[in-house]
Amino acid sequence: MTAASRHARIGRIGLYALLVWICLFFSIPLLVVISTSLKTSDEVRTFSIFTLPTAPSIAAWIKAWSSACTGLNCGGVRVGFWNSVRILIPSVIISVLAGSITGYALSHWRLRGANVIMLLLLICAFIPYQVILYPLVKMFSTIGIYSSLPCIIAVHVVFGLPVMSLLFRNFYTGLPEELIKAARIDGAGFWRIFAFVILPMSVNILIVATILQTTGIWNDYLLGLIFAGRDNIPMTVQLNAIATTSTGIIEYNVNTAAALLTALPPLIVYFVSGRYFVRGITAGAVKG
Amino acid sequence: MSAVSVSGLSKSFGHLHVLKDIHLPIDAGDFTVLLGPSGCGKSTLLNVIAGLEDTDAGIVEIDGTDVTHREPSRRGIAMVFQSYALYPTMSVRKNLSFGLRVRSVPRREVARRVNWAANLLQIDELLDRKPSQLSGGQRQRVAIGRALVQQAKVFLFDEPLSNLDAKLRAEMRVELKRLHKELGATILYVTHDQIEAMTLATRIAVMRDGRIEQYAVPDDVYEAPATLFVASFVGSPAMNFMRGRLVSDAVHVGSAQLPLNGYRFRSSPMDGQEVILGIRPEHVVLAQDGTIEAETLFMEPMGADTLGWFHFGEHRLSARLIPQVARGMSGSVRLQLLADHFSLFDPSTEARL
Repeated sequence: MTAASRHARIGRIGLYALLVWICLFFSIPLLVVISTSLKTSDEVRTFSIFTLPTAPSIAAWIKAWSSACTGLNCGGVRVGFWNSVRILIPSVIISVLAGSITGYALSHWRLRGANVIMLLLLICAFIPYQVILYPLVKMFSTIGIYSSLPCIIAVHVVFGLPVMSLLFRNFYTGLPEELIKAARIDGAGFWRIFAFVILPMSVNILIVATILQTTGIWNDYLLGLIFAGRDNIPMTVQLNAIATTSTGIIEYNVNTAAALLTALPPLIVYFVSGRYFVRGITAGAVKG
Repeated sequence: MSAVSVSGLSKSFGHLHVLKDIHLPIDAGDFTVLLGPSGCGKSTLLNVIAGLEDTDAGIVEIDGTDVTHREPSRRGIAMVFQSYALYPTMSVRKNLSFGLRVRSVPRREVARRVNWAANLLQIDELLDRKPSQLSGGQRQRVAIGRALVQQAKVFLFDEPLSNLDAKLRAEMRVELKRLHKELGATILYVTHDQIEAMTLATRIAVMRDGRIEQYAVPDDVYEAPATLFVASFVGSPAMNFMRGRLVSDAVHVGSAQLPLNGYRFRSSPMDGQEVILGIRPEHVVLAQDGTIEAETLFMEPMGADTLGWFHFGEHRLSARLIPQVARGMSGSVRLQLLADHFSLFDPSTEARL
C-alpha cells in the first residue's frame, strides 16, 4: 500500500467517523423523544431518559390526541390539529394562487414599474415579522376582525405573498414568451391565458409552493399566537400550552407524544412529495 | 387595395432606434419576405404588425382598416413562431382549436376547420398526440395548422424554419410554397436566410439597421441590388467587389479597363468618380481573350459547380466554374467580367449608381 493511498484511507475513515457523529448528534434527541412517548409515566420518572421502554405502549399518544389538558380544557391536541387544518387549507390555497397570479403578471405582462414592484416584494420578503406585528394588530382591530379565523388567514396570505410571487415569477420567466404571444393572437386575454396555458404548465411549481406554504404555515407559532384568537389557536400554540401546564405531575410521555403528533403532518408532506419537490425546483432552474 | 400597409412606422427601445420610418405596402396574395441580418428590426416589424409590440409613430393598416391600436386578436392575422410556441399541455387537436374555441366558433365549424387544416398539412394521425411526442417537422406543421384554422386575412411567419435541419427545411420550403399557391393567402415572412427569401418570396424587403434598403421582386434584388449592403447580403457565394474609377464609358480597376456596355445608370455619374464595381461569381468567366489577367489561388468544389478564387491586382475574385474545367487549374488565367451584369455603387453613399 502506498503512502498516498494510506493517507486517503485515513481521511476516509475520519470523514465517516465525523458523519456518524453528526448523525447521532441529530438523531439522539429524536430517538429519546420517540422512546419517551412510548413509556409509561412511572417508567419515565424512574429510569434515565436513555433507557428504552420495557413495554412500549401508545397510551400516551392516545391521551395526547384526545384528552391532554391545556389549562382547563382537556380535549387533547386534536382541537389544535383541526384548528391548524382550518387555518392551513384556505391560507395555502389563497397564498399559492395569489403568488402564481402575481408571478405571472410580473413575468409576462409589461407592466409599468414591474421591476419596482418586484424589488419591493423582495424587500418585503426579508422584513422581520417583529417590526410589523404591532401595526398589523392595530390595523386588524380597527377593521374589527382581530383574533379570528379570517384574520390569521389574511396574515398568512400577506406574509406568504412575497416569497410565493418570487418563486412563481422565476419559474414563469423561464417559459417562452412566444407562448403568451401565440395565445394573445389566438384571442385569449390575461385570465384565459393564465387558466388554460400557464396554470396547466405549472404543476411542478404548484407542488413546490404548496409544500413550502404547508410546512411554513403548519410550523408557525408566533403569528398563530398573536392573530388566531383563543378559539382558533393552532396546534403549535396548543402544544406549548400543554407542555407548560403545571398542574399535577408533568407527563413527559404525553408531552413528547403531542410534540410528535404536531410534527407529523409536515414530515408526511415531505416524504410523500420529496420527488416532486426536487423535480419542481430543477424544472424551474434548468428549463422552461 | 393593399392587404397590409405600413407607413411612417418608428419604434425604439430606450435609446435604440429599432425601426426608422418604415413604409411597406403589401398586395393581397403576395408572399413578402423581410430579409436581413439579426438585429436589423425585421422581427420587431413583424411584431408591430401583429400588434404584439406598440409603435412610437406610424400607421398599420390591414385590409384597409387602421389597426394600429387594436389587440392582436382583432387584426385578422395569424402567426407562426420560430419556437412553434405550441401549448405543451394540450393535444394537437386542442392546439389547433384553441383560438377558435376562445372566439366561441360553433363546435361543428371548429371540427370542420381542424380536419381541413390537418388534412392539408398531413397531420391527421397526430391529432391526439401532445407536442412533446412530435418531431421538429411535425411541430412546425402543427404551428402552421394553428395559423391556418384562423382563416386570417394575413399570415405572419417569424423565422419558422430556422429550428429545422437542412433537409427538413428544404421540404418545408416546398410545402410553404404549395400552401401559398393553394390558399392564395397574403403572407409576411421573416427570415435571415437569403435562400428561403429567394425561393419563397414574390417580393423581398431587405432590411438593415431599422430601414428597408430595397423592396422589390426577388430577381431585381438579385440582379440589380439597390445598395452595397443588399448586394453583399443576397447571393451565395457572395458578390465580388472591386474599387475602381469611372472614366468615360469604362471602369478602370488597377491597370484594367472594363467597358460598361451601356450600363443603365440610375443617376448621372461624374467622370472620374470613384466607384465600387460589383459582379457575381457566375458572371466571371474564363476566356482566351478575357479583359483581365488573374492568378489562380485555390478551388472550392461545391458539387454542381466549383468556386474558383483568383488574385487580380489587389482584389480577390471568385468565379463559378464547371468542375471538370476547374480541376487541376493553376497559374495565370484570363477572365472576362460580363459587363451586362455589372452593379456600380457610390462608395460614400453605398447606393446603386
